[in-house]
Amino acid sequence: MKLRPFIDFLKSVITFRPMDTGADFAEMRYKGLKRTLVFWMSVLTIVPLLVLFTASYYWLQALFHEESRHELAWDIENAKNQIEYFVDVKISALRFLASGHRYDQLSDQQLLARIFAAFKREFGAVVDLGLIDKHGIQQSYTGPYNLQGKDYANQEWFHKAVTRGIYVSDVFLGYRRLPHFAIAVKQDEPDTDTFWILRATIDMETLNRLLSSIKLDDADDAFIISRSGTLQTSSQHHGDVLEQYAVPALLRQRGITILDLKDDAGRPYVFGYAFIKDTSWILSVVEKSGTRTKIAAVFRAEYFAVIAVIVFLILLAAFRMVHVMVNWIRESEEKREEVLREVEHATKLASIGRLAAGVSHEINNPLAIINEKAGLMKDILMLSENNVDREKFLRSVNGILDSVKRARTITHQLLGFARRMDVTPEVLDINDVLTEVVGFLQKETLFRDVQVKQNLGADLPRVKSNRGRLQQVFLNIINNAMDAMEAGGRIEIITDLKDKSTVRARIRDSGRGMDAQTLKHIFDPFFTTKGMTKGTGLGLFISYGIIKKLGGNILVQSEVDKGTTFTVELPVDQPVPTIA
Amino acid sequence: MKDKNIKVLLVDDEEAFVDTLANRLKLRDLKVETVYDGEQALAAVKEKEPDVMILDLKMPGLHGMEVLREIRKTYPKIQVIILTGHGTEKHEEEARRLGGFDFLKKPTDIETLLGKIKIAYKEKLEKAFSAIAFAEAGEFDTAREIMEEENDK
Repeated sequence: MKLRPFIDFLKSVITFRPMDTGADFAEMRYKGLKRTLVFWMSVLTIVPLLVLFTASYYWLQALFHEESRHELAWDIENAKNQIEYFVDVKISALRFLASGHRYDQLSDQQLLARIFAAFKREFGAVVDLGLIDKHGIQQSYTGPYNLQGKDYANQEWFHKAVTRGIYVSDVFLGYRRLPHFAIAVKQDEPDTDTFWILRATIDMETLNRLLSSIKLDDADDAFIISRSGTLQTSSQHHGDVLEQYAVPALLRQRGITILDLKDDAGRPYVFGYAFIKDTSWILSVVEKSGTRTKIAAVFRAEYFAVIAVIVFLILLAAFRMVHVMVNWIRESEEKREEVLREVEHATKLASIGRLAAGVSHEINNPLAIINEKAGLMKDILMLSENNVDREKFLRSVNGILDSVKRARTITHQLLGFARRMDVTPEVLDINDVLTEVVGFLQKETLFRDVQVKQNLGADLPRVKSNRGRLQQVFLNIINNAMDAMEAGGRIEIITDLKDKSTVRARIRDSGRGMDAQTLKHIFDPFFTTKGMTKGTGLGLFISYGIIKKLGGNILVQSEVDKGTTFTVELPVDQPVPTIA
Repeated sequence: MKDKNIKVLLVDDEEAFVDTLANRLKLRDLKVETVYDGEQALAAVKEKEPDVMILDLKMPGLHGMEVLREIRKTYPKIQVIILTGHGTEKHEEEARRLGGFDFLKKPTDIETLLGKIKIAYKEKLEKAFSAIAFAEAGEFDTAREIMEEENDK
C-alpha cells in the first residue's frame, strides 16, 4: 500500500483550514475531504474484513478437504472389507471341502462334479473346480474345459500354493474370455506325508459390483490393480482389464492411504489405496473431479452474498458517518469564522475608539491655541483702546492660522484613513503604506522619544493587497514595538525583496523582547502581556488573519532584552521577470 | 487687590498655547511662569513656589500624572489644575484621586480658568490661615492635622 497519500491525508485533516480560502474553494475542499475520508474508512474496514473472510474460506475448504479424505478412506475401507470377505469366504469354503474329503474321494470325477454343483449353488461365481496331486497333475476336474490330466508342475501358482498353503492368483481371461481369478488350497496328508491341492476359478463379476459401492463422480475411478500394476478389474478412464496402469510409487502399508498427487498435465487428484489381504491386489481409487473436496456451490454463493451485504453496509455507514462528520466540521468552521468576524469587527470598533481619542487630542491642542490667541486679541482690543499693538496682533492672527492649518492636516489624514478601510484588493507599494503609518504615528513616537529609522528598498515590485488592512497590521506591530520599549528606543523598518515573488517588510525594535513561552502564544487570540486594561490580546491575532487572508506570511523572532523583529511577507502582483 | 499675589505656573509642551495663555493671565494681574515639560515643572516649583499650577497631561518625557503625583508628595500646598486636550473620564478620575484640584478640558474659556485659579488660591489661603490660626491659638495638633489632611488628599 502506498503510504504517501495516507500521510498527505492526515496532514490535510490536521491543517484543514477552509477559512483561509474563498467559499467555493472551501466547498471543494469539503468534498475532497469527504472523498478521502470515505475512501480510507472503507479501505481500513473492508480490507481486514476481506482478509478475514478469505482466510476463513480457505480454512473451511481445508476442513472440507480433510473431511472428504476421511469419507473416501471410509468408503475404501468398506469396499476393502467386502472384497476381503468375498475372497475369504471362497478360501474357507475350499478349505472346508478339502478337510472334509479324502484325496481318493475327490479323485472321483462324479463326486467332484456333485460337490461343484453344490458349491456353485451356495457360493456362486465359481467357474470350475479341480484336484491336483503333489506332482502338479490335475487328477480330477469339473468345469467348462477338459483339463483332466493337465500338468501344472512348472507353473508359478503351483509352487506358491505349495509353499504358502493358500494362493489367490492375479486376474486372467478365462472361460468365454471373461476375467477370472483362481484360488488354490493345499491339503496335507500327515499320515502318508504327502499333500494335494484343491483349485477353483472365480468369476470377477461380483468384485466389479463391490467396487461400485464406492460413491464416485463420473470423472473418478475405482479399480483393483495387481502389485505390478496390471488392472484386475476394468476401469472407467484407466484402461480395461489386464491393461497396465501407471502405479504411483506405492509402499506396502497397512490400512488405507490417501495421497494428493498430480497427473502428467499437472492437475491435482486424490489417489487412495488399500492392500487386499491374502492377495496381491491393491484396491485403488482415483478422484479427479474434486467434488468431495470442493465447498458446495450453494454454500459458496451464500458466503459471497453475506460478504457483499457486509461490504455494502460498511460503505453505507462510512458514507453516512463521513457526511455527518464533515458537516459537523463545516458547521464548527463556519461558527468559528462567524466569531472571528465578530471579534474583528469589535477590534475595529475599539481601534476606531482609540483613533477618536487620539484625534480629539490632536485637534483640541490647536483649538486651545486658537482659543488663547483669539482671546488675547480680544484682550488687546479691550484694554488698549485706540493704539493697538499691530505687531502683537498680527502674531496672534498668524498663530491662529498656523493652528487651523495643523488641525486641517489632521482631519485630512483622518479622511484618508477612513477611505482606506474598505476591503477591495488593490495594487500598492508597501513603502507608501509604511511611510503613511509612520507619519501617522509621528506624534506618538516623538512623545515617547522613540527613534524610527526607515530603510526602504528602492524599486520594489508592487503587491496586490489592501491598504487599510495593511495599515492596520503595521500600526499594530509598530504600536507593540513602542509598548515594548522605554524612552530612547529605536525602531528600524526595512523593506526588501525576499525572492522574486515575495516582498518582505521587517520591523525591528530594541525593546525588551520575549521569551520562548510568550513567542509560542504571540498569535493566539486574547493573549496579551500588557494587562487586561491596556491590551485586548487581539491585535496580532487579527493581524495574522489579515496577512494570511492577503496570501502572505507573518513571522516573529525575538530575544529577551535585545528586541523583536516582525517580518511580513506579501506576494507581489506579478513576479519580477528574471533579467536575461 | 490680592489677585496680584497669585503665582501661577503653566506647564504645557505647546509653546504657542502656554505663551499666549501666560500673556492673557498676566493681563489679568496674575504672576505667571511658564515651562514646557514635566521635568522643568518640578524644577520650577522648587524655585518659584507657585500657588497654583496649570498642568497638561500628555507631554514628552514625564507625564502630567507623574508630575501631579510628585507635586502632591513634595509640595502639597500647591493647587494643581489639570488642563488637557486628552481628557477622558478615566483621566479625570485618576487626577482627582491623586489630589488634583480641578480638571479642565482644552479649549477652555479664560474666565472659567481664572475663576478656578482664584478658587484654588482662596482654598489654599483658607487652609493656611486656619492652620496658622490654630497654631497661634496653640492648637498645634489641629494645625498639623490640617496640613496633613492636605497631604493625604
